[in-house]
Amino acid sequence: MSKVVVDKMAMQRALTRITYEIIEKNKGVNNLVILGIKTRGVYLAKRIANRLQKLENKEVPVVQLDITKYRDDVKHTADDPKVADDDKISLDNRNVILVDDVLFTGRTIKSAFSAISELGRPDNIRLAVLIDRGHRELPIRADFVGKNIPTSRTEKIKVQVNEIDGKDSVEIIDK
Amino acid sequence: MATRYLILEDGTSYKGKAFGSQATTTGEIVVNSNMLGYQEIITNQIYHNQIITFTQPSIGNTGINHKSFESIITNAKGIIVREYSNISTNRLGNLTLDRFLKQHNIPGIAGIDTRELTHRIRRNKSMKASIVDVNDEHAFDQLNAAVLTNQQVKQVSTKAPFPNTGDGYNIILIDFGLKYGILRRLAELDCNVIVMPWNTSSKEIMDLDPDGVILSTGPGSPNDLPESVLNMIRETQEKLPMFAMGLGHELFALANGAETYKLKVEHHGSNHPIRQIITNQIIYASQSQGYAVDPKSIKHDQLLITFIDLVNGTVQGIRHRDFPSFSVQFSPDGGPGPEDTVDLFEEFLENVSSQRR
Repeated sequence: MSKVVVDKMAMQRALTRITYEIIEKNKGVNNLVILGIKTRGVYLAKRIANRLQKLENKEVPVVQLDITKYRDDVKHTADDPKVADDDKISLDNRNVILVDDVLFTGRTIKSAFSAISELGRPDNIRLAVLIDRGHRELPIRADFVGKNIPTSRTEKIKVQVNEIDGKDSVEIIDK
Repeated sequence: MATRYLILEDGTSYKGKAFGSQATTTGEIVVNSNMLGYQEIITNQIYHNQIITFTQPSIGNTGINHKSFESIITNAKGIIVREYSNISTNRLGNLTLDRFLKQHNIPGIAGIDTRELTHRIRRNKSMKASIVDVNDEHAFDQLNAAVLTNQQVKQVSTKAPFPNTGDGYNIILIDFGLKYGILRRLAELDCNVIVMPWNTSSKEIMDLDPDGVILSTGPGSPNDLPESVLNMIRETQEKLPMFAMGLGHELFALANGAETYKLKVEHHGSNHPIRQIITNQIIYASQSQGYAVDPKSIKHDQLLITFIDLVNGTVQGIRHRDFPSFSVQFSPDGGPGPEDTVDLFEEFLENVSSQRR
């Protein structure tokens, strides 16, 4: 059984509000880098960067972050993918916005921190998520939340983005 | 229907037929180009002091119903139509526009070439007009001598606070000429609303422990209100999410260092495409404005422009950089007209819930 909890309009609105909140907290877009966690976080990161660009007339760099190498639930091999699609990027003294679709246990974000340390030492890292579903296992919280959706552990949250899934929606799936 | 005259400040006279009240009236003449929603338009308090010309040629054909009032007391000074429709069909009620206007002592005049009149109004600057029995020299003298009040907000705003209860967020609504569409939208979202007078201070607001503040639409020029209103906005926006519309938007802009100017011709309609800058989406909204925020005066380190009218280039929305406060020039409640902008009330409540985390 599944239920749509965020539709296309609500998702747009959430990303719009997150964008404004980033400007509020960061006092503009100077020195900003947006890191999208693969896969869907990348598309959300791009949309936020696009909105920031429209408001401020400044290009904000987006980097794809692949955390496979630092995951604690898989076996690692020598050919784990690189952490960033951009080799040259340095995050030294930058303001980083980390973007993911769902915040759940917090383990993905912990891995992302490890991955980020390969890329430099940012001044600060802020976390933006489309959905916060609770059930944290680590002391991590998001700075920008699209929507808080209380869930039970057995439920699954399915985020779809137009770029790869053909539509924008968030569904709760009851197993 | 008796013969009456519409006379304008520039010396023009139009012969028409009376409906509604037979009173003599004087006001600023404006044009509304909405295709529907005359009841919401006539009962909207922003038309205080004004005589409304409808470009939609047939008015009256949906009567008056209890669901479409935008205020209890109607402040419009008169209405001008091409054709008054005597036959009205509406399942919601059986009150005719003619009867309604008589009850509220508002004169109407029909049989006017509203297309020609609209061209004339748009060529000129804002003009006074009268609906009179005789179009003689004396009537024109009276019209030219008439002085319209600039104390509109004081006259239309509530004198004492009142609640519109709900189980959700506690929202303060500052009444500069409250449009009931705002209350309807907040009721749909289950807000507990307290409507307060225009001269409420930030302390009086904070004493009620609210979650957010809305500044309503209203009549007249934002520059006719005292500095104390701007201080209230400055002090409140630091503490609470704010959503301002219409006159409230103009005041929000003034409070944050921008300036407003009077439009050469007031714009009342819902046919202008408006671009939301952040998403590039085109929306339509119910617009009613005599003033606009000057984009050149907007301090980019304080405010962001969020909506632009694509026909006349006017600023249609701004947002504060440092606080979760924003405003729109149009009427987001969609009464009457497109409902593209109703979402903004949800956006406001998302700001509210985001602050409360």
